[in-house]
Amino acid sequence: MKTTGTENADRANFPQRPAASPFTAASQSTTPFLSSGPVVGSEAFAFRPAPPNAPQTTPSAPQTTRPYLSSGLMVGSEASGFRPTQPVRYNDPSIPRPPSSFVPPPTGTLQHHPTPQFFSTAQAPPPRTSPGQPVFPPPIRAPAGHVPSPPVYLHSQPQISSGQMGSPPQSINYVPSGRSVPPSSSDSLFSAPRSTLQPLQSAFPGYSSKSPNAVTQPPPVQSAPVFTHQGGYGPPPPATSTPFLAHQRGYVPPPPVAAPPAFYSREQMQHQGSGLPMGAVQGLTEDFSSLSLASVPGSLDPGLDSKVLPRPLDGDVEPKSFAEMYPLNCNSRYLRLTTSAIPNSQSLTSRWHLPLGAVVCPLAEAPEGEEVPIVNFATTGIIRCRRCRTYVNPYMTFTDGGRKFRCNICALLNDVPGDYFAQLDANGRRIDLNERPELTKGTVEFIAPAEYMVRPPMPPLYFFVIDVSISAVRSGMLEVVAQTIKSCLDRLPGFPRTQIGFITFDSSIHFYNMKSSLTQPQMMVVTDLDDIFVPLPDDLLVNLSESRSVVDVFLDSLPSMFQDNVNMESAFGPAIKAAFMVMNQLGGKMLIFQNTLPSLGVGRLRLRGDDLRVYGTDKEHTLRIPEDPFYKQMAADCTKYQIAVNVYALSDKYTDIASLGTLAKYTGGQIYYYPSFQSSIHKEKLRHELARDLTRETAWESVLRIRCGKGVRFTTYHGNFMLRSTDLIALPAVDCDKAYAMQMSLEETLLTTQTVYFQVALLYTSSSGERRIRVHTAAAPVVSELGEMYRQADTGAIISLFCRLAIEKTLSYKLEEARSSIQQRIVKAFREYRNLYAVQHRLGGRMIYPESLKFLPLYGLALCKSIPLRGGYADAQLDERCAAGHTMMALPVKNLLKLLYPNLVRVDEYLGKASSKPDELNISRLPVTAESLDSRGLYIYDDGLRFVIWFGKMLPPDIAMNLLGEDFATDFSRVILSERDSEMSRKLMEILKKFREIDPSYYQMNHLVRQGEQPREGFFLLTNLIEDQVGGMNGYIDWIQQIHRQVQQNA
Amino acid sequence: MVKLTMIARVTDGLPLAEGLDDGRDWQDAELYKQQIKALFKNLSRGQNEPSRMSVETGPYIFHYIIEGRVCYLTMCDRAYPKKLAFQYLEDLKNEFERVNGSQIETAARPYAFIKFDTFIQKTKKLYQDTRTQRNISKLNDELYEVHQIMTRNVQEVLGVGEKLDQVSQMSSRLTSESRIYADKARDLNRQALIRKWAPVAIVIGVVILLFWVRKKIW
Repeated sequence: MKTTGTENADRANFPQRPAASPFTAASQSTTPFLSSGPVVGSEAFAFRPAPPNAPQTTPSAPQTTRPYLSSGLMVGSEASGFRPTQPVRYNDPSIPRPPSSFVPPPTGTLQHHPTPQFFSTAQAPPPRTSPGQPVFPPPIRAPAGHVPSPPVYLHSQPQISSGQMGSPPQSINYVPSGRSVPPSSSDSLFSAPRSTLQPLQSAFPGYSSKSPNAVTQPPPVQSAPVFTHQGGYGPPPPATSTPFLAHQRGYVPPPPVAAPPAFYSREQMQHQGSGLPMGAVQGLTEDFSSLSLASVPGSLDPGLDSKVLPRPLDGDVEPKSFAEMYPLNCNSRYLRLTTSAIPNSQSLTSRWHLPLGAVVCPLAEAPEGEEVPIVNFATTGIIRCRRCRTYVNPYMTFTDGGRKFRCNICALLNDVPGDYFAQLDANGRRIDLNERPELTKGTVEFIAPAEYMVRPPMPPLYFFVIDVSISAVRSGMLEVVAQTIKSCLDRLPGFPRTQIGFITFDSSIHFYNMKSSLTQPQMMVVTDLDDIFVPLPDDLLVNLSESRSVVDVFLDSLPSMFQDNVNMESAFGPAIKAAFMVMNQLGGKMLIFQNTLPSLGVGRLRLRGDDLRVYGTDKEHTLRIPEDPFYKQMAADCTKYQIAVNVYALSDKYTDIASLGTLAKYTGGQIYYYPSFQSSIHKEKLRHELARDLTRETAWESVLRIRCGKGVRFTTYHGNFMLRSTDLIALPAVDCDKAYAMQMSLEETLLTTQTVYFQVALLYTSSSGERRIRVHTAAAPVVSELGEMYRQADTGAIISLFCRLAIEKTLSYKLEEARSSIQQRIVKAFREYRNLYAVQHRLGGRMIYPESLKFLPLYGLALCKSIPLRGGYADAQLDERCAAGHTMMALPVKNLLKLLYPNLVRVDEYLGKASSKPDELNISRLPVTAESLDSRGLYIYDDGLRFVIWFGKMLPPDIAMNLLGEDFATDFSRVILSERDSEMSRKLMEILKKFREIDPSYYQMNHLVRQGEQPREGFFLLTNLIEDQVGGMNGYIDWIQQIHRQVQQNA
Repeated sequence: MVKLTMIARVTDGLPLAEGLDDGRDWQDAELYKQQIKALFKNLSRGQNEPSRMSVETGPYIFHYIIEGRVCYLTMCDRAYPKKLAFQYLEDLKNEFERVNGSQIETAARPYAFIKFDTFIQKTKKLYQDTRTQRNISKLNDELYEVHQIMTRNVQEVLGVGEKLDQVSQMSSRLTSESRIYADKARDLNRQALIRKWAPVAIVIGVVILLFWVRKKIW
């Protein structure tokens, strides 16, 4: 394997470094790029004597997006003689570099610079660590280099000044020592360089903001350096490209070497994309001349125009640099780390105030053509590490001529079994590498041998427990359910082994004998709820393919069988118990359709209701936890017997989702909540979601475990499942719509490895009856600087963890506390970040945050306004809260982000255009605020769970006519949007269909809302416009200001 | 009554199929499954077993037939007629060979033919009740002869391999120890010899020396 190989080479080189002269050492470490190595040295020397030039290296594209950070600091110093050291730090952030190695003889002051960095690993005071950080971002910055647009230069400028600051290392030392002191001390230190570098200072935002001249000044300076650059490099390819090479050498550690240009260009695109929302910001920053906002830490003046604020209008942008550094990693749809830079010490971890962990979606749907390769080690047995049981993966290194392999997680040297032996070629790679997907892909599936089975693979099993009480019949639920199940019978996975069974219940429990030899099912009624027994030993659970005709007859007659039922009771608990008794031999999926509050037998619930008086008191949380221990006990039993429970709650009254949800929560199931279900309105939604539940690819009787390298440990797990031992997640059924989150902690005070590896393994039985192990492997670098962690942060994963933590918190605390804990953590994180950089850059009144976290405040706000956490008593019904909470605990990152910050698009213009086809649909998302709504427009609000279609007051009546026919003037709550005979209507339906296809896990129901039609508008749309101030909750601007204030308060 | 049904490949003991909800309602299922697996392993070691055999274990009895390198095994109560059990296995065998015959050798993963479990299930039900007309007529069918099928005890069967192992181990230990014994005996012999004759030799030596000295002096 090439990458590991080079990695090793680097490692091997490190020890030599101290002895060698700095530059040669550097070139050694970067052997792969050797060609440019020496050049860099000369370059550095060239700059050294002329300090003013130093900054000029920075303009060299790559750093552009890097903000003013002290990162610049490093760059500056680097420019003045250190450039070559960059790679050193980067490749190997965890190793405290031997400072001596970098120190270029002439720069006395600079010598100190590495030293603090060195110390930082031990003491970890914030700003000190910063010097090393710049190293990382280049991949992001790089693109800017290609873009010869003015902003690029602007970005780079801050670094210029920071470069100056970088040179006096003492300032760095002071900053951490006392937070209050630093300004003055650092000031004095800074002043020295300032005097020498007059013109450049102006470029720095702090100063330049006042002098417009500054804007003009920098460019010439920059251009000059660019040339010097070229000179330095000798061969004059375009100036921008050369610096790149040097950079790549530095940051991009071993792997992506192969095609750097390719991914840089991709980067570029991404960058531009993410830069988009900040376009406005840039306009604004023009006033500040060098203030480069498209660059990382945006800075905001309180009270700024709201347009300036960052918004994730492009959806979820995943951090790419991670995947590029380790191309062998599994795709981010399977595993996302909250930060792709693992802190190397506990003290560093404690300063990272955001959650440190991962979000795993083991069965995420792969797009066409990216199927997971399947590997069968038939006779060899699965290759695993002897000690830590890690599965073979691309990061395992083969040594000793191919006879041994080293485990990447625990570093144990294992023997390669004879059947698996392959010789190594000159590069130390196995010669059969190309035929071994498990050694080249981050995600593979192994066929499990018999040792991984406690019993033969179970068949897919669906057991339906259906409420047939009066309300279930009246609401039409029974009919829809029966029809839907019938229509899905052909598509149930696992033919011909699929098993199926039914129980219905009201005040008694009805079993159905579906023996294949019968012509129609026999119903058996059990009325003894206290002592449930199963009336038949078998035939309650039958093979679908054999008893198909009986099942068909049953489903056809089910609605009519109970149409005159007037029973209002619900023996919910006993029914579940009965279903459990039928199923427990095999396990499978139990689907419960529930319409009436459980009133009989075990597990009966009372109307504890949404008690207004309880809110705000210490007892508030008790409403959100199950009342009766029966449910948790039942869930535990179900998990033990591999039964997953999905609850479809369709009541029009309070049904205590908090209790019912427990069943789904601990069995890896799901809650579907349809408040006041009416088949005329909700039919489509229930049909779609039930069909998806029944037909999507499901993994049965599975267990999930995540392993990670030594020194790191996963401590807590969050999501819908039950832990079987400390780290084994038991999942009776999993599918692509479920994600699990976990938090990790450092076990050792100091990590000595340079990379931490993660491996997620899901052992499951596929619907076709194969036992398989799906393995996702990923690597992440260990870093010693806080700034690096921030730079590699993944907002999506962080928010996902935040969300789960907050929802869990609502189970034992007040909503208010859950919300404030989110806010507190964001504030703390930003404060820490501010401490890193603010002082040096004198951004007193500005808000600083890393580029990677620019959406964090907004998502945090959205989270606080999400249904499970929002407001108090009046803002959401208790059942709705609990149902949403359960849903959000399981959502994959992308869906969660969409739910938190929904799509809002305007479609009337598109509909009005005569010729446009749906393929050309290119609608940009609007900020989710009332200001985006124009009363002449038609908007679609899509949060992944539902559509709200908003008709403006002044919307041309012909549009409404076309879309709704004669219904356009009536009460929208009764109007159902359906395709009508007009071009516009067809187009609209086309759009909605497209939106639904993007996100098939739920059916988005249409809610039509007319502007000014209260309370509908308020309920569906206005309360969900998260950027607005709604009912005592902050708007986006206020929120940002509040956070900013709090960040500054104790800074 | 048929309790358990398993089908495995003889060559390597790979399980190919198993009855669906076998193991329901009784406690020791795991124990007997272990025994069955051990039995398969024994078979795969190539010991020449008869192609039809019954093995007693506790209150139950295993019946198996080996045909076409596949072993069909079922576990029944002791009271269950042997004849029916073997006919059940024959039925399974015929169907299994018909459906999966060609792929048996190439199957690479365990339970590759798990889909067969539905057939096992179905057939099992037919044989569940010994008193149905169908089964009684089968019982009376003299064509199918099962009397000469050997019945042994599971400990015996599973023990055979073990005992052989033990014997070979003991014999090898015996050889090596006897060799050591021989070496030691030779050594002792030599020492005894030395001890016996050394004084005499010394005396003679001294005498000769004396003679020689006297001759020199004189």
